[in-house]
Amino acid sequence: MSAAAETFRIPSPTRPDHIPSREQPLRRWLIGKLLYGSNIDRSAKARARIGLAILAFAAVYSIIAARLVMFAIASHSQTVHRVVSGDAIATARPDILDRNGEVLATDVRVPSLYAEPRRLIDVDEAAELLTADLPDLNATELRERLASKRGFVWLKRDITPDQQHEIYRQGLPGIGFMNENKRDYPNGAEVSHFLGRVDIDNQGIAGIEKWLDGQGLAALHMAGLATDRLQTPVQLAVDLRVQHAMRDELVTARAKFHAIAAAGVVLNVRTGEIVAMVSEPDFDPNKPQDPHDQTLINRLTTGVYEMGSTFKAFTIAMALDSGKVTLKSTFDAHNPLHYGKFDIHDFEPMQRALSVPEIFTYSSNIGAARIAMAMGIDAHKAFLKKLGQLDRLHTELPESAEPIVPKHWGELNTMTIAFGHGLSVAPLQAVMGVAALMNGGILIPPTFLKRSEAEAEKLGRRVIKPETSEMMRYLMRLNVEKGTAAKADVPGYYIGGKTGTADKVVFGRYSKTKVLTDFMAVLPADQPRYLVLIMLDEPQALPETHGFKTSGWNAVPTGGAVVARIAPLLGIEPRMDLPTADQLILASLKENR
Amino acid sequence: MILRVLNFLVIGALVLAAAYVYRIKFDSTVQAERLAKLRSEVRRERDDIAALRAEWGQLDNPERIETLAKRYLHLKTIAPTQFDTLDRLPDRPPQDVTAANQDPIGGIIENLEQPGSLETTGTVPPSANETPNPASGAPSPVSGAQSPAGGAPNQ
Repeated sequence: MSAAAETFRIPSPTRPDHIPSREQPLRRWLIGKLLYGSNIDRSAKARARIGLAILAFAAVYSIIAARLVMFAIASHSQTVHRVVSGDAIATARPDILDRNGEVLATDVRVPSLYAEPRRLIDVDEAAELLTADLPDLNATELRERLASKRGFVWLKRDITPDQQHEIYRQGLPGIGFMNENKRDYPNGAEVSHFLGRVDIDNQGIAGIEKWLDGQGLAALHMAGLATDRLQTPVQLAVDLRVQHAMRDELVTARAKFHAIAAAGVVLNVRTGEIVAMVSEPDFDPNKPQDPHDQTLINRLTTGVYEMGSTFKAFTIAMALDSGKVTLKSTFDAHNPLHYGKFDIHDFEPMQRALSVPEIFTYSSNIGAARIAMAMGIDAHKAFLKKLGQLDRLHTELPESAEPIVPKHWGELNTMTIAFGHGLSVAPLQAVMGVAALMNGGILIPPTFLKRSEAEAEKLGRRVIKPETSEMMRYLMRLNVEKGTAAKADVPGYYIGGKTGTADKVVFGRYSKTKVLTDFMAVLPADQPRYLVLIMLDEPQALPETHGFKTSGWNAVPTGGAVVARIAPLLGIEPRMDLPTADQLILASLKENR
Repeated sequence: MILRVLNFLVIGALVLAAAYVYRIKFDSTVQAERLAKLRSEVRRERDDIAALRAEWGQLDNPERIETLAKRYLHLKTIAPTQFDTLDRLPDRPPQDVTAANQDPIGGIIENLEQPGSLETTGTVPPSANETPNPASGAPSPVSGAQSPAGGAPNQ
């Protein structure tokens, strides 16, 4: 009924509109005229106004609805944030695995104790109770920290769950715990030098850990994004079992020969992967150390050494590769070589002309010097440059050392560098060069990360002819069969090797008593797969070595022991009763020609 | 009249819709809380896994295993002579005892009477021996074939 009345009433106000001036007061008429104009239909005007009101309300309500939807969506992400902020420090690091997936480094959550001094009620009581639970805490320092007016102070990082429980039970206000990531190295000192370590804030400070930070991890930490362990693990080329075997043998050898240091590398000659790297003395990365302790450097990458006779491999490879010298060429080694006031002697003088294989197996300094002189200074320098012996070697490790190259490279330099004196290189660098001589002539930069042969081929650069590489492998095998490296001949693995003994430089002079011995072994010599370097720093002569301290008496037997242990781990099948190097390698070389 | 009914219907629908929306909102809050809880649980589990993996890494460390093995096991490092290939395995010995054979001992005696059949067991067929000089090649298959059998009882 009311609806009907309304419909009846609506037209009624419209009727007087036609005659406004007579029935309304003048003032209202004037306002009406000013506001609506004189000849406008009031009903149409009212409808338009209602429409406008509807529109305004609709807009307001749709804004409210939109806000509601936004809150509904946003509240979800807010809850997640609340959970995360419970353990706030964003320093997660990816796990580091060895080539078989064994954990080398991982993050574990440990509680850390902090205080908010402004919220503390009784500083003395808190300090007393905390020192009771954590006896290793410095009491005066603790009191000082608690009495400060700062908002937040760390009291102790990395406490045990038991300690956390005890402190929690005391119910001290203003004392709290935060879960932090702590780097854990389950294998301790076994993998130390190349892995590096992290500081208390989980930032890498050495080795692969520092390299990881350089790969964008540090930026993630800065942005506070690396809270969760969602990052993909990093897989290295190193094999933990091989690493252990190498370290075990080196620790034994270092103790036996009373050497100040021992180091070893296993390199895959086809891919450039470093399968094991040990530098004794080493350290436990779980424990903080003095970073400036010079005895703890990685001797393979940060140390530079004169490698001794192993450099004869480069000299002879250069000569054979040039084509001017063959395996049948002979060089005079009757007398010591005189140059100015210097004499070059042989360790065991033969006093006759020596062929190239004899120079290699007898390790004749005179012969090597004569070969290098025959090739010329420039060719010698260019060849060593091509093999990467004169430039700094860059791997993933942030630590590297520049080789010490003579400023003025004269005839005498070429003569001495021919047998490994007068040029100091990082041992890993020499390993890379010798690997190129062995693997068919391709120089592949070494890496700590996993790499396939296809990837290595792309990176590789040909430096010598394949035939030269085959001749070098023949010489290496020959040296084990009847040369200075005879003590490394493990039956079944067909090892080839070159020894090196360098007099150490002490106070700018070559020492008569201190030597550095090294041994490079390739296995198997006919189909090379791995190159092993053993290096001993200042080994001492023993009664059972008959008073000798040259490489053949210490580094070589160590190398043999290492190879016997690691070859089964590397999947090298022992082959018994293989013919001699003359028959196997040299014969195949002649067939190909 | 119709409009009035319509009005009531709309009011009813509004109340229903409000109740429904409230339920959905409540459910979603419950779900969001569950999600957050599960996430924190997943995080905790991951942390536990990492701690266990670290512990396993410590227990599985080659140095530790070697120390334990030296103390409790009487094993030696494998010598290169102890490896051999499968194709140099000797032939299987003749099957004296089979289900079909009613008299196994009689079968053994029968095989003993035929010396030719016994000679084939334990010897390496000449085709497998690829070394050119038989003088140095001959001892190897024997030592290779015997070392697994001969080495085991000693250990």
